[in-house]
Amino acid sequence: MPAERAGYTVSMFVIDASPTMGNVRHVELPPGPNGEVMTTEMTNLEWCLRYVKLKIQEMIFNGRKTDQCGVIVFGSDITDNIVNKESGGEGYANVQEYISIGQPNVGTIAKLDALRPSESSTGDPLDALIVALETQGRYLASKKSWTRKVFLVTDGEGPVEAEDWQDIVKKMQQHDVFLTIVGVDFDDPELGYEYPDKSRHKKVNEAFYKDFVHDIGEKGIVGTMDYALQEVVRPEPKQTRSTLMGTVLRIGNADFNADEAIQINVKASKCTALARPATLKKYAMRQEADDMDVDGEGERKAVYAQLKMRTEYYVESKEGAEDDEDEDGANIKKEDESAEGTDDTQKPNGARVEKEDLVRGFKYGTTYAPCPDGQFPKLSTVKGIDILGFFPKKNLRREYLMGEIQYIWADEKSPHQQVALSSVVQALDSLGRVAIARWVNKDGADIKMGVLVPCVFEKADCFLWARLPFADDVRKYTFASLERLVSKKGEEVKEHPYLPTQEQLNAMDAFVDAMDLGDVGEPDEEGVRGPWFDTRNSYNPAIHRVKQAIFHSAVVSDIPSNPLPPPHPDLVQFFEPPKRALKRARKPLERCKEVFNVKEVTKRVAKAKKEGHDHINDEDEMLLLDRKPTRTQSSFFGSGSQSQVGASASFADKKPADDGSDTEDDNEELLLNAKPPATPAPSGSRGPLPTPARSVSPRGLDPGRAPGKIIGNTDPLRDFKKNLAGGDLVTKAVEDMAVVITEIVLKPFAKRRAEELIECMKAMRKTCLEEDEVDAWNAFIVNLKSKCNAKPGNPAFWNKVKEVGRDLSYISDKEAERFGGSAQYTEKQAKELVES
Amino acid sequence: MAPYDDDWTKIDDEDDEELQDYSIFEGQRDVILFCIDCSESMQALYEDPNDEDAQTSNLAVALEAAKQIQKKKIIAGPNDSVGIMLFNTTRRPDAKGAGGYASEIKLGTFLYQPISLLSASKIKELMLLLDAAKEDPEELVREFPPKKDRKVPIGDVFTSCNWILRDGAPKTATKRIFLITDDDNPHQGPGSEQLRNSARTTLIDLTQSGVTVEPFFISTEDKPFDVSKFYSSVLLPNNILDEDELEQDSSVLSESISISRIEDLLAQMRFHESPKRALFSVPLHLAEGFTIGVKGYALITEQKKGSYKYFVDTGGRMALANVKTVYVDEDRDAEVDKSKFFFGSAPGSTAASAEKEDDDQDENIGARTVKADHRPFYTAEETRAFRTMGLVPGFRLLGFKDAGDLAFEDNVKHAYFIYPNEMSYSGSKRTFSALLKSMINKNKIALALALMRKNASPVFCYLLPQEEIIDDNGCQIDPPGFHIIPLPFADDIRAAPIQEAFRAPPDLVKSATEWVDKLKIKTGTYPPDSYRNPALAYHNEQLEASAFRDEYNPEDFEDETEPPISGIHKKAGKLMKAWKDTLANDESANIVSVPTTGSKRKADVSVNEAEIRSYYDNGSLEKLRVDQLKEFLKSKGVAVSGKKADLVERVADWFTTN
Repeated sequence: MPAERAGYTVSMFVIDASPTMGNVRHVELPPGPNGEVMTTEMTNLEWCLRYVKLKIQEMIFNGRKTDQCGVIVFGSDITDNIVNKESGGEGYANVQEYISIGQPNVGTIAKLDALRPSESSTGDPLDALIVALETQGRYLASKKSWTRKVFLVTDGEGPVEAEDWQDIVKKMQQHDVFLTIVGVDFDDPELGYEYPDKSRHKKVNEAFYKDFVHDIGEKGIVGTMDYALQEVVRPEPKQTRSTLMGTVLRIGNADFNADEAIQINVKASKCTALARPATLKKYAMRQEADDMDVDGEGERKAVYAQLKMRTEYYVESKEGAEDDEDEDGANIKKEDESAEGTDDTQKPNGARVEKEDLVRGFKYGTTYAPCPDGQFPKLSTVKGIDILGFFPKKNLRREYLMGEIQYIWADEKSPHQQVALSSVVQALDSLGRVAIARWVNKDGADIKMGVLVPCVFEKADCFLWARLPFADDVRKYTFASLERLVSKKGEEVKEHPYLPTQEQLNAMDAFVDAMDLGDVGEPDEEGVRGPWFDTRNSYNPAIHRVKQAIFHSAVVSDIPSNPLPPPHPDLVQFFEPPKRALKRARKPLERCKEVFNVKEVTKRVAKAKKEGHDHINDEDEMLLLDRKPTRTQSSFFGSGSQSQVGASASFADKKPADDGSDTEDDNEELLLNAKPPATPAPSGSRGPLPTPARSVSPRGLDPGRAPGKIIGNTDPLRDFKKNLAGGDLVTKAVEDMAVVITEIVLKPFAKRRAEELIECMKAMRKTCLEEDEVDAWNAFIVNLKSKCNAKPGNPAFWNKVKEVGRDLSYISDKEAERFGGSAQYTEKQAKELVES
Repeated sequence: MAPYDDDWTKIDDEDDEELQDYSIFEGQRDVILFCIDCSESMQALYEDPNDEDAQTSNLAVALEAAKQIQKKKIIAGPNDSVGIMLFNTTRRPDAKGAGGYASEIKLGTFLYQPISLLSASKIKELMLLLDAAKEDPEELVREFPPKKDRKVPIGDVFTSCNWILRDGAPKTATKRIFLITDDDNPHQGPGSEQLRNSARTTLIDLTQSGVTVEPFFISTEDKPFDVSKFYSSVLLPNNILDEDELEQDSSVLSESISISRIEDLLAQMRFHESPKRALFSVPLHLAEGFTIGVKGYALITEQKKGSYKYFVDTGGRMALANVKTVYVDEDRDAEVDKSKFFFGSAPGSTAASAEKEDDDQDENIGARTVKADHRPFYTAEETRAFRTMGLVPGFRLLGFKDAGDLAFEDNVKHAYFIYPNEMSYSGSKRTFSALLKSMINKNKIALALALMRKNASPVFCYLLPQEEIIDDNGCQIDPPGFHIIPLPFADDIRAAPIQEAFRAPPDLVKSATEWVDKLKIKTGTYPPDSYRNPALAYHNEQLEASAFRDEYNPEDFEDETEPPISGIHKKAGKLMKAWKDTLANDESANIVSVPTTGSKRKADVSVNEAEIRSYYDNGSLEKLRVDQLKEFLKSKGVAVSGKKADLVERVADWFTTN
């Protein structure tokens, strides 16, 4: 979009601070954990400032020097503005240049936070508008090409001196000023906002503002604050202009034959580039803060300090620990542990070494190859793109494309080169060929293989480049055939539960037809429905949600009482299949469900018949399932962030310091949902397990066998063993086992399963020791201890563990060493753990 | 991108999804036991096709392949273990011979290299043996005398393998046996039925303890390997019908049988080098209440160089330094436990709260002060929900589109592959199979919303149906399943920076068509197997030389990605020259400079090549202005940094080579 370039803008915020802005309003919060409506109180000014702060936060976030703003306040007790000064203190009273124009920063928002409605002054919004335009105009006197924007925020209760307003409009049009007027409780019937009970003043003013923007034309807009606050978080992809990187496209080699070799000067620019969510910084609350930061009013303060990353190096001090097999895996895990002691001498896993004493090298099996530079000499390569040959485009395997796409343009300054590249592009296009090429980014850089695909635009020709895999990058796994089944006797089997029947195939065909997205999109002007979904309208939910969260935390000082509002609807617009397709597919879907009869494999059912207590647990969970209040049609994927936000909101009263692991949170959530709305359990829940319901279980309700977990709650030991025998996912198995054990221990009826759990722990410990999951075990056992001895807890179970004693304590350094691993606890610490 | 560019320890494990792809594999270990037949036919000598003066045997080739695989694995998976067991040999363990359990394993089998972590010395041992065999072809026969009378029962072979793996391999590693033999019927005559049964039962034992047997059968023209004679009844058939026998569908055997000529043995092994590991196992929701299980694999992933590690000299011995990342409150110099983290925006963009009055309180820089019971930051759990949007891992089908709707440029990362998982939802296979068929018939692709792992973010992706393709020998070329193509979001799409450019006239296009048509790739498609990553190979060769303390000679390195220069010129040189001539006469050559849209005025720097060449010929390049030199260099894609002297030199260089 070349029309509007990013940055090069001065935005003036004209804010109403008249006494009426101090009126208190109730603002809706995201629904509570049980779907109840939650609200909070704030003044209209605070509410409006949210909008202004979000706008300014966006500028801070983008960090452009050419994206600047200033703030003018009217209805202020202070009169301080250039127009008033120059007219010798005449007119333009109660208008204050609150923040002068500049690139906004932390201080800008802090200063806005300090803004309060005035006691009794009123100011004229049009005066303020003139001041804003004048201030902006002077600032941009030498920057004619910059975009000018003005945002007027008011409740419309104050008087407006609407005398020469047409002149103002003219002036604004003259300078191409964009004006946005946002009013508190203004009507917008089209969008469904109507506020019938309003003062006469307000009605008149509202009508005036509408006339005003109408005269301004397409650069003017008036809206209501409710909608503006929603729109301000509308996902907007950050426009990045790709730089053009010069390189050369070669066919043949000039050293070999200069007359024949072809070289075309080209420029590469990104066509797709993976954007990632902003990284959140890490903070921790200072513990001693309570005691010291007591200010004059005796108010207690909490200090959150930003954390910096520090890398420390340790070396095994013990002899014979040579074959330390798993530094990769283990290190990451060590982070997870509660390495509370900061006393380095106590670190059992070796002596700290300074980075200066370290030498770089590579591992070659158990041997090391020193390599002080961190890399060996690289292959000498020459910058450029070399074509190796051409092949038909239809033979290009789409799944081979490995990464981001690049445009390859001819040098934009050389018509000659453009004609040259254009002829090659058109030649390939007419033959239906693509080129295999190797790309060297700069002299000496690593070689990349890829494909050049001709791309003929309306007014320019170019190539598109995609990386393709090297031999090293392709994994040739074989998978059992889905169609050819052979019996033990070597005969082909024609009928089998794995093979779809004709009836099933027909049902699936009907389903595929019904769910076609080709004609279920939004209708165009002629009312014809086009395809549904377009990458250009699909926003990365993570990026925009994280951004929204960052902005939110910048404008509120307490997350628990002001949780993040729900995401903008555009962000989740493609999260559900379109209703039209679903409607069309209703019958084919019913048919499919019937003929395919897919069932979640629940080995637990058979087991439950044998062991009564398991059944009770099952039932418990079933009830929870049915009680989930915010269950929607889409609940099979979790009911979206809403329930998430709700759940986390209710953690607010907990001390933040002690909510440690996932396990605990999952549990909390479980308990939370188990509490109130005392909907009677549907009688159907005693029936056989309904497979579909199972698969629709919302997130968090059923952590034991939530999708993604490989250990279930019913027979964890068996699941665990099975997974180990399978050989894949040991780390995962151990991790899930830890979760499941902790979960069961803290649930009612845990006592009946104590023996079983002890067995589970024994098996888990053994595996941890043998498979070098030592850290996982040690973290688990200390966590379990603290959980058992905590408030809801289960001290009885810990006593059981103590009875077993040493065999369930920490894996000590000695033990670990026998299996070639390492551990941070000593034998002594291990003994102590199970004695207290 | 080379992993060296950034210190890998700095990568935030929560934020970098790509990293997780690898960490899953890193935690896993792979164990391979080579199990090689040493019978007389395996040891029969023949002319080495690669070396006129030398003789070789199937055994030597098999050992050579084992060595190559070891060399590859030692770099790709330094934590993997390998062992070599030989059978049909009369060699018995001697004093220096193989390990403690050598006495236990069955007669006629010999453990040449016990299962252990890979090391340079282990490979060296094998190299020395093979070198000796090359000098004197009888060496192997002396080392491992073939058993002349009866063949060792295959059951005994499997039993020995089982014992060796039981004792030597970590329990949770993926354990595989590479069985190499040329004998398709080891048990003939009386008692054969019994031997066959025992082979079968011992194999089931093996499979049940999580071991996979991957046979590599050597076939020759004179003596084709007939699986049906013996092995097909021993090796478990495809898609075993008795599920009780085998719960893990990943252990299905015959999908991985390979029969090849001895020359292709190594290539065959390469295919099987890395064990099949699923990246994720998640539900695929076709619609509400209609869900199947799938497992996901990364069939295409960039294989990177290993990252370097830190070592410290502890008095003559190099010890590996463990890297630990801690987070500290720097002002207090206090390490903070991960569970106590909160997350928020960088202080630069955060409001110092209004309550905070004292701005120059140095101590609190980078800190945020709020009322005691307030929390201005998010918990880890809340933060994760922002990224996952509260979804749980899985695929949600959104609908179907025409196959043509997936554009080439809708790509940001490598594809994944999914295959049904009957173990999580019964009926997954038939449903998946029906969906696959239906989509292939209708030429459709499916749009889905996917959250592949717990810590990932949701992405939209297309499911491309992949039909199973089998070659003439019944070997699978393409497996059945769906390729998953993750799609770019609007946020990832960049606008085309150039809207308008000069285009070629038809005669020039026609001229280009002629040479393009000559330069066809023989295979008719992109052959990934032909291109080993030269950067990786170059690195690995140097690493290997360094580990063996050999001198590395860069001259020996062969770059498979070199363009076939002489071939190109031979096939199309004349046509290329014709095209160049047509281009030179094109009127566009006379357009000096395009009017630029930039508003800044620039000095006229346009000098044409001929003009600069004349300066060059006169040796007076330094008379040109710096901006002119730069302009010229820029147009040739050469660096424009440095002093004027550097620029002059570079221009001169360019004319010398062109």
